[in-house]
Parts: sequence; structure tokens; C-alpha cells
Amino acid sequence: MKENKFSRWLHGEGVTSFLSSFMAILVGLLVGFVILLISNPSQALGGFKAILMGGFVDRKNMGQVFYFATPIIMTGLSVGFANKTGLFNIGAPGQFIVGAYAAVYVGVQWKFLPAGVHWIAALVAAMVAGGIWGLLPGILRAYRNVNVVISCIMMNYVGMYLVNYAITKTIFDSLKNQTKRVASTAVIPKLGLDLIFKTGNSSSSVNAGIFLAVIAGIVIYVVLDKTKFGFELKACGYNMDACKYAGMNEKRSIIYSMVIAGALSGLGGALLYLAGSGKGIEVLDVLAAEGFNGIPVALLGLNNPIGIIFAGIFVAYLNVGGFNMQLYDFVPQVIEIIIAVIIYFSAFALLLKGFIRSRIAHRNQNGPNANAELNAEGGQAS
Amino acid sequence: MDYIIEMLGITKEFPGIIANDNVTLQLARGEIHALLGENGAGKSTLMSVLFGMYQPEEGVIKKNGQEVHIKDPNDANHLGIGMVHQHFKLVHNFTVLENIILGVETTANGFLKMDKARKRVVELSNQYGLRVDPDALISDITVGMQQRVEILKMLYRDNEILIFDEPTAVLTPQEIEELMKIMKGLAAEGKSILFITHKLNEIKAVANRCTVLRKGKYIGTVDVADTSMEQMSEMMVGRKVSLQVEKGETQPGEVILETEGLTVRSKATGKNVVDHVSLSVRAGEIVCIAGIDGNGQSELVYALTGLIRPDEGTIRLNGKDITHASIRERNISGMGHIPEDRHRHGLVLDYSLAYNLVLQTYFTPRFQKSGMLKFDAINDYANGLIQKFDIRSGQGANTVARSMSGGNQQKAIVAREVDRNPDLLIAVQPTRGLDVGAIEYIHKQLIAERDSGKGILLVSLELDEVMNVSDRILVIYEGEIVAELDPKQVSVQELGLYMAGSKRGNQA
Amino acid sequence: MNTLYFLVQQTMYFSIPLLIVALGGMFSERSGVVNIALEGIMIMGAFSSILFISVFQTVLPGQPVLLLAILIAAATGVIISLAHAYASINMKADQVISGTAINMFAPAFAIYVARMIRTVQQIPFVNQFRIEKVPVLGNIPVIGPMLFQNTYITTYLGFAILIVSWMVLYKTRFGLRLRSCGEHPQAADSVGINVYRMRYAGVAISGALAGIGGLVFVIPTSTNFNATVAGYGFLALAVLIFGQWKPSKILMAAFFFGLMKTIASAYSGIPVLAAMKIPNDIYKMIPYVATLVVLAFTSKNSQAPRAEGIPYDKGGR
Repeated sequence: MKENKFSRWLHGEGVTSFLSSFMAILVGLLVGFVILLISNPSQALGGFKAILMGGFVDRKNMGQVFYFATPIIMTGLSVGFANKTGLFNIGAPGQFIVGAYAAVYVGVQWKFLPAGVHWIAALVAAMVAGGIWGLLPGILRAYRNVNVVISCIMMNYVGMYLVNYAITKTIFDSLKNQTKRVASTAVIPKLGLDLIFKTGNSSSSVNAGIFLAVIAGIVIYVVLDKTKFGFELKACGYNMDACKYAGMNEKRSIIYSMVIAGALSGLGGALLYLAGSGKGIEVLDVLAAEGFNGIPVALLGLNNPIGIIFAGIFVAYLNVGGFNMQLYDFVPQVIEIIIAVIIYFSAFALLLKGFIRSRIAHRNQNGPNANAELNAEGGQAS
Repeated sequence: MDYIIEMLGITKEFPGIIANDNVTLQLARGEIHALLGENGAGKSTLMSVLFGMYQPEEGVIKKNGQEVHIKDPNDANHLGIGMVHQHFKLVHNFTVLENIILGVETTANGFLKMDKARKRVVELSNQYGLRVDPDALISDITVGMQQRVEILKMLYRDNEILIFDEPTAVLTPQEIEELMKIMKGLAAEGKSILFITHKLNEIKAVANRCTVLRKGKYIGTVDVADTSMEQMSEMMVGRKVSLQVEKGETQPGEVILETEGLTVRSKATGKNVVDHVSLSVRAGEIVCIAGIDGNGQSELVYALTGLIRPDEGTIRLNGKDITHASIRERNISGMGHIPEDRHRHGLVLDYSLAYNLVLQTYFTPRFQKSGMLKFDAINDYANGLIQKFDIRSGQGANTVARSMSGGNQQKAIVAREVDRNPDLLIAVQPTRGLDVGAIEYIHKQLIAERDSGKGILLVSLELDEVMNVSDRILVIYEGEIVAELDPKQVSVQELGLYMAGSKRGNQA
Repeated sequence: MNTLYFLVQQTMYFSIPLLIVALGGMFSERSGVVNIALEGIMIMGAFSSILFISVFQTVLPGQPVLLLAILIAAATGVIISLAHAYASINMKADQVISGTAINMFAPAFAIYVARMIRTVQQIPFVNQFRIEKVPVLGNIPVIGPMLFQNTYITTYLGFAILIVSWMVLYKTRFGLRLRSCGEHPQAADSVGINVYRMRYAGVAISGALAGIGGLVFVIPTSTNFNATVAGYGFLALAVLIFGQWKPSKILMAAFFFGLMKTIASAYSGIPVLAAMKIPNDIYKMIPYVATLVVLAFTSKNSQAPRAEGIPYDKGGR
């Protein structure tokens, strides 16, 4: 009876998903190690250790993992949420940057706001701006049948140039070629995290943003899986015709999905630039990398909001390891190569899952339950 | 006997199911041989094996007494085997000619040479009376003509063994008659034909012999002339089945649904695809819209159910004007809809059975409270319906709809629509693609609903269904209702003439 | 008149790479495989070929180096695209995932290798490929200065690829079979066409063209390669969709976008536009806004290949 339960647990969707992701990660790390070996055999072991140690070097580095994870969790949620509702949101870079601008603008200019309200207002402004950037592709898809992928690509560039223009007109620090510093009241509270994640005199930039990102993930999870709103959004993502047949408003669902996805990315922009690390939005003709990084984070998290939180932290962990690896004269881009390989192999999830299942089935072949799955066809198995 | 093709002891397994279990089929030269069985009996698998799309685990295939190995459709083609698939294998944006030559193109220096091919296609088309236009796009021609393109594909490849997989399902009585003529003509020219079907009268009409499969097993081969339809159906189903639907007299009550001058115009052509349709459905009667596929039935139903907006006319449900009401308003005011395409409209295939059962009611206080779904209530409700309607699935209410059999998917939709207790139930081809047991079940449900005082609007392409289930027939032709008929007083042949547009007027 | 010549020449620089890469994407998608990896493949093609140029430029003359570089770019593109083909065809993976992986891999790999072997990530090269004036043709009035002066052989390569693509797609057996695999793979299979092989071919062609496109993009617009093609792979994807998966419309879409881009980057050289004193960044937005507006009015009927993005499962029931 006990064994029976165990094998059913092993057959479960969650476990096989996790195992297949785990195998993809192993392959990715292996490839990374091989690259290090080829480029510099004598330092490879040290460099690889630095990657694996990632943020566990010291307290500050641990804090930095959460700091770097925050924006990519948000864009990951944005991409993953849209995916769940049947839309490929490649527009996160644009939504991210307009959100960042709105937040920094409020942070720099609206000094009349009281301390406790200022940073919240900046976050809200970012969500509104990001939401608007998602709204437009949503409307174009719902009413004009415009492919979301291409309208999002266009919106990315429009957003980037618009923000560059707006910065130079409003909150430009021409010496640094970036935005001015936000008022201290607009910086997200540290909640003492800077004291915990501190090595010597040097503090991590981690702040309450990581909690907001985790809360956002939980909220998205609840909305998608527990509410009637999520029921509608997912139904429309899976089958728009059936959604319409059942009396749901499928156009409205598309638009809501894109607005929410946009707001999540926009909030990500705010969380990065209101962290109080002194980082400003640079005026460059380059799309925001944090936006694109949402795609791998979402894929790695299997589009599951909770999975995305862990995926974001994992990717940030590797990135921190990548910085530390530079001590051994390696180029940090090896981390991106590793992540790319992991994603590539996670695309084989279906096959890996089948492989894991067949291994388990093979092991249990002599057991009484070996053919349970086969017999389940047609009848109620339980 | 002189067999051109023999399939001996064929066994083909899929994970979890033995689709063919030691099946034997022997096709004589120049005969029309029927392959009879319900859906899921293994007919399509057997033909796919013969066609090289699956490799059998056991068994041999012989041609002219010699063992052959058919590894892919190319091998089948070289052996002269051709097939008209149930779902046509035609590329919608290719021309007829391009579809015919695909795979056996003639080229010069790598470039396509169409002239010879065109000449040959026109010749063949004339020789067998197939009447196709080689330059028409597939998406522009009728289903009947698409089928003739499939036949031409086989003739163009000089196939001598022709497989027809459920060829009549999509045709009108007249088209069926024409197809039968073509098949007999082909056999007379020396072609050997395998005719897959579950329609006994068609077997009686054209086939010489008949092989019966049931649940993947070989039941037997009989001479059609010596075997009655009842005997064949018993072989197919494994028990005695009544070919007649039992139902009492209708007692129509008040008018439930009424339309006046309902018109839908095509956006592409501006033509009226639904043309001033005025009809009514009363409580306690089954009204059937009969017609050839593509004569505006779908658009009529879409307009009634709110999936598209009508351009003219009014719709009243229980006396209330719902012409401009939303789909949800119609659902709430008492309209149920069993859609034509259960995968496109009827189900969210990636949702669980339970979620699909509350697809139109998830927002009611019974299943949600301040925006949060009540999972216990949803599961209890689903389990109730699963019991009551005998919906079978792997993991009960949590089964993903995609993994359920077609019959059980349809049962789920019927359960959902019936249980919402609508005054009007619109059922569009509710038995399409189902086996005899499921068809019987669904017909019983429809009649039970009628007897409990509901109005039923049935849209069907199956003549048997039209004749057996309905209380009143409305024939639709090119978007117009051209006749109102009494199923007890009209013959199938006559009904066919109305459906083909060559006769119109009221009989009742 | 000089302004016009300048505009046409500039438009070529922007349009030709988009044209080549979008045509590549067309072959992949019309065989049934979505290829969002175009960006990454462009980067890899540009990286390998520019690296080749920077090394061999001193020992070989200009145009032969360029021709060899084109071959190297194409070969690199094919190799990378095979990774995408393997995932999407054999492994039946979600085609967006492996595309994303390649897009992430390519710039990281280019930077990593460049820095490992030369310590900086930029790879410089000397632009000795520009043809001042094509003999004879360059002297034709009007057309000469527009099309045969200040040009690159890659421009003519682009047009050649367009014509060949059109012929291959519509006039050959290969093209007919490729298209059938993207629309109705079951139909193709039933007449004995090897769907997997056709899809491999489609993806490989897209790899070759995207690889070439990467090189073609970098040569006229820069003097070093910095592990980026400025999002042109994604823009090519947009051009492909905008062009309704058809060569002739892709040509129009690529030139529409190229012209807009030219106006955006060269407005200061156009007296009328320069006089309007509209900020630089606003001009830069024009191509993207214009595309959105055009799309809003032309997207009602999508002509996407019907089986696009759906892995073909031969044994599927």
C-alpha cells in the first residue's frame, strides 16, 4: 500500500516536472564546466566552484542574489502570466522601461508627497505605465487581430525611444547620461535587510522589493488558479472559441491579460530603479535586458508563478556566481550560456518526463501496480 | 478466390490499447469489400497498417500471394494502394491539380512541369465522370468535389486497390448515390475497393463481401447478399440493437423559440448565408433542420446562440426579444447549445472535466463567492453529473478533457447542457463521430428532454437521425428554409430532393 | 537629387538584411516551424564571418574575403539552426523555448569567445567592401547613382535571394512539398513526403539566410562587431508576419520598414525634415509606430501557415 502511494507520487506531474528541470540544470552546468575547461583548464575548477557557490560566498552576496532576482521575477511573472492566458508577451522590455521611467519620474519630481506615500505612488505609476504599454497590443489583438508578438516588438522600440526622449526632457543628469537620483522618500524601504545582508562595511542593495516580487507571484498564483477571473483568463488562453461559446467576453480577457502582464513588467522596472543603489536609467538605444530575461525565467519556472519565483532566484544566484568567477579570469557570459543550455534542454521536458516515467515503470515492472496506467483507459481508475 | 491483397493475423498495439488483435482481411480482385465496425473497432488502424502509416507488431501482408513489407505510404503507393481518408488530406490553399500531383510531381531541371499532369487529370476526370476543375482552390470547392479530388489522386497514381474511409459521412443522398455509381464503375474497370463504413444500407447497396471488426478483434467475413442488416449489426455491436428510435407522439405546447426574417450576410461575398429564416420551436417537440453541409446551418445556429450578430430579423425566446442579447444572457434566459464542433466550441480541452462541466455556470453563487471559486462545490457537482450521465474518464472529475474518448466528451457536453435545464436545447450534429451505443444514448436523452416539455432544435446531416428522431423537419437550402415536412409522410429520397434544392414547397 | 540617391542607398542598407532574414524565416515557417531564433542566428553568423574577415582581411583582397565570409556566415547559421530543428522536429519541443535559448546563447557565446581570444568583445574590421561605382551600370542616369553607386555586393545578393526564394517556393517540387508540410503535414505524409526532412530543410535554409543576414547587416553600418544585431532578427520576424509569409509582400514590408528607418536616421540630411526641428528620438520611433498603424489596418485576415508551430507526430492517433 505504501509503495503504491509512493509510485503514484513519483508519477505525479509536479515531481516529473521538477526532475526534468533538474536534469536540464545538470546538463547546463556540465556544459558550462566543459567550456571553462576548454578555455582555461588550470582555473576551470576554481571558476566552476565560484559559479556553484553563487551567492553563498558571504552575506552581501546572498543579498545581491535577491536584489538581482527581484526585477527578473517580475518580468518572468509578466511573461509566464501572459503565457498561461495564451499570449506570448515578448513586450516585457518596453513595459519594463516605461514602468521604470514613470517610477523614477515620480521619484524625482513629486517631492511634495509624504514619505510613506511617495515610493508607493512611484510603484503605482510604474504599474499604470507598464499596463498602458500592454494595453495597446491587447486592444490591437482583440479588435484588429494584430499578432501580439509583432506589436509587442514594435512597442518595445517605441517605449525605448520615448523614454530616452522623455528623460532628456525631464529628469536628465547630463553628466552621467542617465536619470537624476530619486528622492530618498521614493526609495523602497530596506526593512533592515541591508543590515542582515552585509559583509564588512559593504551592504547589499537588497530591499523590500524582493518581498513585493514574492507577493506578486503569490497573488498571480491565486488569481490564476483560485478565482473566477483566472478561470476565464485561462479558458480564453486555451480555447478562445469555447470561451466565447460559454458566454465569456474573450476580447476583454485578452486585454486584461496584456494589461496585467504589462503592469507586472512595469513594476519590475520600478523595483530595480527605486532600489536606492544609485542606478539610474541610462539613455541608450538598447532594449532593457531585464525584459528579455523574463522569458527564460518564465520558461524555467514552467510558467507557474511560484516556479517563476524560484527560477528568478536561481538565475540571479548563477549571475552572482558569474561575477565572482571573474576573479579566475573568466568572462561572466558563461553564465548566460549555461542558462541558455538549461532552457534548451528544458524544452525537452516532454521527452525527459517520458524517460523518467519509463524508468520508474521499468523498476516497478514486477509490482502489482505496473499496468495501472494501461488499465485506466476507459474506466475510472480509482 | 483470387485475392489481390491479404492481411493475415495483423496485431497492432498502442500504449494501453490493442487496436488490432489478430485481424484478417482478404480482398478479392475487382470486388467491393466492406469493412464494418463501430468507432474504435480498429478499422482505421487496420487501414493505416495497410497504407504503411503504422507498422504492425505481428502479421503479414500479401499482394497477389507474395508477402510484402509496407514501411511508408510510398511503399503502399508502389504496390498500387490508394486511400480516400475520412478527413481529406488536401492542402486548402493549393489548387486541385497541385493536390493531385503532390508527391508524384513531374519536373524538368528541378522545376515543376504541370502541362502533362493537367492533361492526364482532365482525361481521368472525364473518363470516370468526376467533373473537377483542376485550377480551383480546394478552399473554394464543395466537400463532394473535394472527395472526387481524392479519388482522382488515386487514379492519377494508377492505384488498383482503392480504400474509401467513411466516404459518405459528408455527402447528401444524391451525392452518395453518385459515389456508389462511381465506385461500381471503378470496380467494373478492374479496381478492387475496400469500403470502410458503419452504415449498413450502403453496404447492402454496393458491397460484395463484408468483414466485421469489433473492439479490435476479427469477427468474421460474410457475403453481403446472404446476410441481413440485422445480422451484420449484431456482428458489429455484439448484441441485438434496435435500428429504430423508440418514441411516443409529440404533444407540442407553447412556442419557445421564434425567429422572423433572420438573415446573416457573408462578410466576404455579401451573400445571404442565412436568408430570411422564420421558424418556431414549441415546447415538447423536436424540430430538425435538415440540409446538406454548408447551406447556412452553422450560421443559423451561430446567430441563434449569439456567436455572430444577425444582419436582419428578430429572435424571441419565451416571447422575449433576444436578438441583441449577449451569449451569457441567452444562456441565463434558458438556451442550451450542444455545439457542432465539440473541440472548437464545446470544451476547453486542457481544462479538467469538472471545469468543463461548469463552463457556463462558474460565476453563479453556487460555484463562486466574492470572486473565489468554490472547488468543493464544483467537484461535488461534477461527480453528480458523472454518475447521472455515466461519463467515463481516467481520473473522474480531475481528468483532463483532452484525454477522454470522443463519446465521453460528447456525453459531458450533453450532461452540462441538459443539466442547466434550458427551455430550448439547440443540438448540432450531436452524434457525429460516435459509435452506436453513444448515439442511442444521446437520442434517448434528446427524447427525454422533449418529453419533459423542452423545445429541441436539432441540426443534423445524418438522414437516419433526421427521419427517426424529429417530429418536424425544416429543410434548409442555400440559407433558406425551403420546406416543412412531416417525417412520417416523407421518404428519404424525397427529402434528399428538397435538400439538394431541386424541389421546394410545403408538404405538411 | 543627391538627397534622393542618398536615401535610396541608405534604404538598401537597412532593408536588405531584413529582406534576407525574413525570407529565411519564411522557409522555416512555411515548413511548419516557428523560428524566433532568427536574432540569435544572425548574431552567430555575423560573429563567425566578421571574425574571419578581421583575421584574413590583411592577406586576401576585399571582395573575395567578403564572398568567403558570406559562405562562413551561412554555414554557421545552418549549424545553429540545426539545434533548433532538432528540438522542434525530433524532440517535438515548444518551438518558442529552443528559439529563446538560441537567442540567449548567441550574444553570450560571441562575447565570451571574443573576450577569451582577444580580451575585448568588439571585433574590428576595415570596411573595404564598398563599391564606389559599378562599371558601366553606375553611369546610367538616375538609376546608376541610386542602385549602382556606393553599394555592396550584398545588396545584389539580397535581390538574388529574393528571386531564387520566389522560384523555389512556387515553381519547384521542393517548394510545393515544403508548403504542404506547413499547411497540412498529414496530407504531405499520406503522399509519401518525409515531413521531418522537409522541415529540417526549411529550418536549415532559414539558418543559412539568417546567418548571411547578420553579416549583411553589420558590414555597411559599422566598423566593428559588438555581439549584437540591434534586434534586427526580431524585426525580420515582424517583417515576415507583416509580409504575410509571401516573398513579394515580404519585399514590400522590408522596404517599407527600411525606408522609415532611413528617414528616421537621416532626417537631418533631408532639408524639409531637418527644418521641422522634431527631436531625434521621435524620428527614431517612426518605423515602429508606422508599422503598428499599418498592421492595425491590414491584419484582419492572417495567412499564417496552418500547421505552423505544431510538432508533427507521425505515429499520432
